[in-house]
Amino acid sequence: MTDGAPKSQTIAVVGGGIAGITAALEAAEMGYDVVLLEKGPSLGGRVTRLNRYFPKLCHPTCGLEINYQRIKKNPRIKLMTMSEVQGVTGVRGDYLLTVRKTPRFVNANCTACGACAQAAETEIDNSFNYGMDKVKVAYLPHEHAFPMRYIISPEVIGTPEADKIKESCKYNAVELDQQEETFDLNAGAIIWATGWRPYDASKLDVYGYDSSPDIITNVEMERLAAHDGPTDGKIIRPSDGEPAKRVAMIQCAGSRDVNHLPYCSMICCLASLKHAAYVREQYPDAEVDIYYIDIRAHDKMSSFYERVRNDPGINFIKSKPGHIVVGEDGRPLVCGEQIIEREIYQRPYDLVVLATGMEPSRAPGADQPVDVEQDEHGFLIPAVGNDGGQFSAGVAGGPFDVALSTQSATAAALKAIQAVRAG
Amino acid sequence: MTAALPETAENRYDLGFARWVRDNVEGGDKLSLCMQCGACSGSCPIGTQMDHGPRKIIAMIRAGMKDEVLSSNTLWNCTSCYRCTVRCPRGIPVTSIIQDLAAKAVEFGYADKKENALFAKSFWWSTSAFGRTDERLVTARYYFSLGFLEGIRRGLANLKIALGMVRTGRMHLGMPHKIKDIKGLTAILARAAEIEAEEANDEL
Ligand SMILES: Cc1cc2nc3c(=O)[nH]c(=O)nc-3n(C[C@H](O)[C@H](O)[C@H](O)COP(=O)(O)OP(=O)(O)OC[C@H]3O[C@@H](n4cnc5c(N)ncnc54)[C@H](O)[C@@H]3O)c2cc1C
Ligand code: SF4
Ligand code: SF4
Repeated sequence: MTDGAPKSQTIAVVGGGIAGITAALEAAEMGYDVVLLEKGPSLGGRVTRLNRYFPKLCHPTCGLEINYQRIKKNPRIKLMTMSEVQGVTGVRGDYLLTVRKTPRFVNANCTACGACAQAAETEIDNSFNYGMDKVKVAYLPHEHAFPMRYIISPEVIGTPEADKIKESCKYNAVELDQQEETFDLNAGAIIWATGWRPYDASKLDVYGYDSSPDIITNVEMERLAAHDGPTDGKIIRPSDGEPAKRVAMIQCAGSRDVNHLPYCSMICCLASLKHAAYVREQYPDAEVDIYYIDIRAHDKMSSFYERVRNDPGINFIKSKPGHIVVGEDGRPLVCGEQIIEREIYQRPYDLVVLATGMEPSRAPGADQPVDVEQDEHGFLIPAVGNDGGQFSAGVAGGPFDVALSTQSATAAALKAIQAVRAG
Repeated sequence: MTAALPETAENRYDLGFARWVRDNVEGGDKLSLCMQCGACSGSCPIGTQMDHGPRKIIAMIRAGMKDEVLSSNTLWNCTSCYRCTVRCPRGIPVTSIIQDLAAKAVEFGYADKKENALFAKSFWWSTSAFGRTDERLVTARYYFSLGFLEGIRRGLANLKIALGMVRTGRMHLGMPHKIKDIKGLTAILARAAEIEAEEANDEL
């Protein structure tokens, strides 16, 4: 703790997912200056890649759109995309953040007309769709990107193709000579909202993720079901494009497992209930089997669970499968013991969805430049450090759904306000 | 020697049994971690050949089903492949529990008439005496441990196979082959027995 008044009243929010956006808005709307730093090209974080939200099955874009309007209207929020915090020094009330800004090669003149993408030829993996399709090297991060601005991938810079891209833009928005820059900024408090990434399904070798295109993860399922996803929203077998009508969801794929993530990721049961609903909506004759240890749908989520459970096309099978192999006909075979009946089964499916959990962005081994206090899994301690000026919000601090992420973000905003106000 | 098994009253559920397993069976102290997910039984390559399988054995131990557990074929059909142990999401040494329960089943007379147990005993006899398994002696000892007449019956039933093996050089007719350093093996086994006795003493 420092004595006296804080030197800076600015609150720095690191990470522009739903938690960072919420924390920034709550603080700014209380009259505090906020710098919102996002390392990617647009805001929203992981929820922009969700097709719909449980439990109401509404579209994430509605809520995000309202938040973007609030940000646009609020002069107290300074938004910086492509900006990653490289270092922090100082104490509560007087931090100095070193920020690295990577070039986007497109400036604010961009109208998102898309001429640059048409001029571009080279294609790269579309990370928004988890690499399930391709985009041009000049691309819009996604349909609802905020800021609504194109980006040019660095690999094309310095080639004749880049010059062609530049010439195609009528608005002089392409700036091929942008350089990486590093700058410092002051803040009295820091909110870490750096979020999560999906647990790497390749590490679950017994579930054969790498052995068949028809074994996918739950985050990929969100993209398969999304109208702006790689299949225009059709839930198909990636191997041959046929409708996926026999679908298995494998719960706790990596979570609650001492060999992987020892904690419960909290959202995967609900996400799979949602995915079962996606499949059933598309194909009235589809059948979905959910393999579970126990279904964790608490409080207000239990009525959602009841609704899904009453669908006769969705079966709940109490069993953690032992392994998944590729059968003779090329379909994935889920193998295990059904525990109520003690029946050893081997069942073929069109599509198997591994309900992988959420790993904090700062999980051990992750490339996160700043050293802040965290637990053994990489989740930040809610009041980070012991000087009372740094806080966590959203999944950076624990495996939360959106509602809990925004609650923790509001709490963090209040704590940050206290830190910059009182000193 | 292991602490005496809890006395079972007429009812089949002995609630002291889980505690006894915890205190006396290798890995038994981890039993309470099991969340009955089924990954072990679902991974077991011979799961369909087991009456209960590892997951249910753990449930039965907790329920106090002493006699059913100790006479289960699961203990004997386990091949010690360790798949269950490797995959158990709670880090429970499932194979050790199963294997040590098999040893306890022998110790407390649950396996006297179990064929797999009798086979295991013959196997162990040959391995410790010669450092090798001698097919003829292991088989003969095993067959005759089922009773004299049964021994004759099974021996005759397998005569053709045996002769075929002799003809193709798969089985020989002379003295049993010993390993080179049988004394070394005997010393190792004696030391193992000593360690086991020491550990049993420590626990008392
Ligand atoms: C399959 C699946 C389905 C789900 N479905 C639902 C659902 O239907 N309903 C629901 O409520 N929840 C759902 N969730 C959970 C939901 O996705 C999370 O609660 C939510 O994404 C948390 O938001 P966040 O802002 O904490 O993290 P994120 O969305 O991960 O945002 C973090 C942001 O920080 C940025 N960042 C990271 N490090 C840095 C850095 N060093 N500097 C600057 N920026 C950085 C990232 O680029 C990112 O934009 C689902 C989860 C999964 C896995
Ligand atoms: S795999 Fe482990 S936790 Fe699951 S049922 Fe078997 S012993 Fe129990
Ligand atoms: S060690 Fe035994 S019980 Fe475990 S999977 Fe292998 S055979 Fe089955």
